[in-house]
Amino acid sequence: MSGTTAEPAARFEVPPRPRTWPRRALIVSALAAFTVATCLPAIGGVEIDLGAIARNWRHGAANLSALLQPNWAFFPRTVQPMLETLQMAFVGAAIAAALSVPLTLWAARPTNPNILTRSAVRAVVNVFRAVPDLVWATILVAMVGVGALPGLLALVLFNVGIVVKLVSEAIDSAEHPYLEAARAGGATQHQINRTLALPQNLPLFLNQWLYALELNVRISAILGIVGAGGIGRLLDERFGFFAYGDVSVIILEILVVVLVIEAASNILRRRLA
Amino acid sequence: MTLDTRAEAGAAPASAWPIRLDGVSVTYPNGTAALRDVSLTIDAGEMVSVVGLSGSGKSTLIRAVNGLVPVTSGTVTVGPYTVSGLSGRRLRQVRGHIGMIFQGFNLATRIDVYRNTLVGRFAQAGALRGLLGVPTAHDREVALSALHTVGMLDKVWTRAGSLSGGQQQRVAIARALSQEPSIMLADEPVASLDPPTAHAVMSELERINTERYLTVLVNLHLMDLARQYTRRMIGLRAGEVVYDGPAAEATEADFEQIYGRRIRPQDRLGDRT
Amino acid sequence: MSSTVEARTRTTATRPGVALPPRPSRRGQTAATAVVGVVLLVATATLDVEWADLRDLPAAVRDYGTLMFADPDWSRLPRALFEMWRSISMAWLGAMLCVVVSIPLGMLAAHGVGPAWLRLALRGLFAVIRAVPEVIIALVLLTVTGLTPFTGALALGIAGIGTQGKWTYETIETLRDGAADAVRAAGGGRTAVIRWALWPAALPTLLSFALYRFEINIRMSAVLGLVGAGGIGSMLANYTNYRAWDTVGMLLIVVVATTMAVDAVSGALRRRIMEGT
Repeated sequence: MSGTTAEPAARFEVPPRPRTWPRRALIVSALAAFTVATCLPAIGGVEIDLGAIARNWRHGAANLSALLQPNWAFFPRTVQPMLETLQMAFVGAAIAAALSVPLTLWAARPTNPNILTRSAVRAVVNVFRAVPDLVWATILVAMVGVGALPGLLALVLFNVGIVVKLVSEAIDSAEHPYLEAARAGGATQHQINRTLALPQNLPLFLNQWLYALELNVRISAILGIVGAGGIGRLLDERFGFFAYGDVSVIILEILVVVLVIEAASNILRRRLA
Repeated sequence: MTLDTRAEAGAAPASAWPIRLDGVSVTYPNGTAALRDVSLTIDAGEMVSVVGLSGSGKSTLIRAVNGLVPVTSGTVTVGPYTVSGLSGRRLRQVRGHIGMIFQGFNLATRIDVYRNTLVGRFAQAGALRGLLGVPTAHDREVALSALHTVGMLDKVWTRAGSLSGGQQQRVAIARALSQEPSIMLADEPVASLDPPTAHAVMSELERINTERYLTVLVNLHLMDLARQYTRRMIGLRAGEVVYDGPAAEATEADFEQIYGRRIRPQDRLGDRT
Repeated sequence: MSSTVEARTRTTATRPGVALPPRPSRRGQTAATAVVGVVLLVATATLDVEWADLRDLPAAVRDYGTLMFADPDWSRLPRALFEMWRSISMAWLGAMLCVVVSIPLGMLAAHGVGPAWLRLALRGLFAVIRAVPEVIIALVLLTVTGLTPFTGALALGIAGIGTQGKWTYETIETLRDGAADAVRAAGGGRTAVIRWALWPAALPTLLSFALYRFEINIRMSAVLGLVGAGGIGSMLANYTNYRAWDTVGMLLIVVVATTMAVDAVSGALRRRIMEGT
């Protein structure tokens, strides 16, 4: 076997192998250097402290076992905050859906040929998207006070960013032959958007609105941690009292609700397709 | 039927307009010269075919007539208007008088036939109705009778995307007819259709030309369709007019001159039956 | 051709007053829209929000906007950059951990790679992890490892496995089967199929997803900082509590600029990877 593989090398003129290894070595060493730099506490990197796990293991194991024993008696007290969370998620997604329509049509090339307004909308949306959801909530709580309102506003801002970016990109990459026909017939851009582009692209919108709703359920569950209402506030409070049995009930509840919403929206999505 | 007499009557709807190109050149931003110094006059009520291979400039020629492609130099005149140099509201107004149908039908596929046809009424809508997208009773009447003319009235609530190619092209013709145009442009209207449907659509165009008395300018790449349905034929090659004369008298040699190569079987569609 | 002839006779017969055919019923759709509308109204009405507060919002946005951005406190920039690097480190290490764990698990969860029982178990695990918000994973972890950036990195690593694993098996399953069949036809076993057919074909997509995970983690690491994991998020939470708005403004600028820069670089790299250069 080895004889037959060795022979052709001698008989055939093998073209020289392209030299890819210096490039590859460069990339690998750059990645390695970056990773090392992220592990240096002196410059702000993360101190990988596996010892802490070993030291705190007993303590952690006790907490984990407490978490595995849900205190079901606590359940009735979670219902009201959970409802508030779902309400915030749903209302936030709905407001964001309404706002996203004009903004998306402004941010997509086929529905807004004006490069100035298009880039302006995109730039604003990108800046808003770069602020994480809970950071929005923190700032808004400081601005308008503790409660559901800052949570709702944070969800709306966050959703609008996602929907506008994803849908406008989807519109950009799709073909829109009807645009040329409508232009040839003397239509204004507004007429085209209102009667053709919006209904034609409605499935793209519906898809992302559902996605925003799913994300909202997940996010609104934790918004309360920074004081923005919903079940997160209860979660934070119980954590503060080390009431791990209660915390466990809340986490399980969030898990179930998220899974149910996700399943429901998957069914809806399949029906819409 | 000279240019001047027709131009005076041009303002009245549904009367044919002449088309005149004077030294028209179109160079695209990437440097491609699509039309080179083209001058021609098409009388009101004529049915003219433009024949050439893809890349010969015939799509550019037809789009220069309604200003979808701006000309680099020269002037384009339709009826009483000079298209070249117009923009905004004035250009849309002129386009309202010029119907256009496309190779790919260019319908909004997820939208019903009715609303696709109403697109032809956009140019006539007043500011408020245009904003709200509400058609008048007259708009509805015109759109429906256009659908009736092409025999598609019974499909009025069907989504355009679920129609066959021939049916879609009929809806596209109804859309153009509901503009009550003075000129009908057709860019390779039958290139995506099977032979019997192609003949039906060409007959439809022929009928529009004679019954509605419209100027019809149709792009074709098939020699027999040009001979059969149009009286005058313009041959384009590399952006220049290489033939202009009666379609029926065009010889094989003329076509070889237009195509710049020998005639092949695929240059003919085949007979009606 | 008969339709043309037919149409022609109809035209001449009935031009005036063509009636609009009745619109087909869309009762189901209307009912669904109505239900959503009613639920939305009830949810909005019963939501415990002082809508009147919204009237003060424009003024508040202007006031706080001025406080934050009129004259940001740049004297704390070095500290902010230090903390930002800590957040970036959390995000990077979290992404590495996540990818290293989820690629083998995700591959085993793909159709035609692992056995059916393992596939179902892994997919269930991914679904459960996906459903738990990152912050909650961090809260649970910090009972074990304490309030440190290391906890943050671990939380990001674990929280991402759900989505990353799903993307991995979906990537493997959308690969065309030709190469895998060819390896099987040549007598290759499961390992050979993974090594010579699936891995090379899936690698660019998986690398691109790994970078995408890093982008997501950049945002998440700031959030974890808010609950005490350290980094720019902790600094932001502190200065918001002190109501030191000029510093908060500076921190927000740092967060936004860094996030957009990372998005831009990582996005460009992802495009290059997918184009195969």
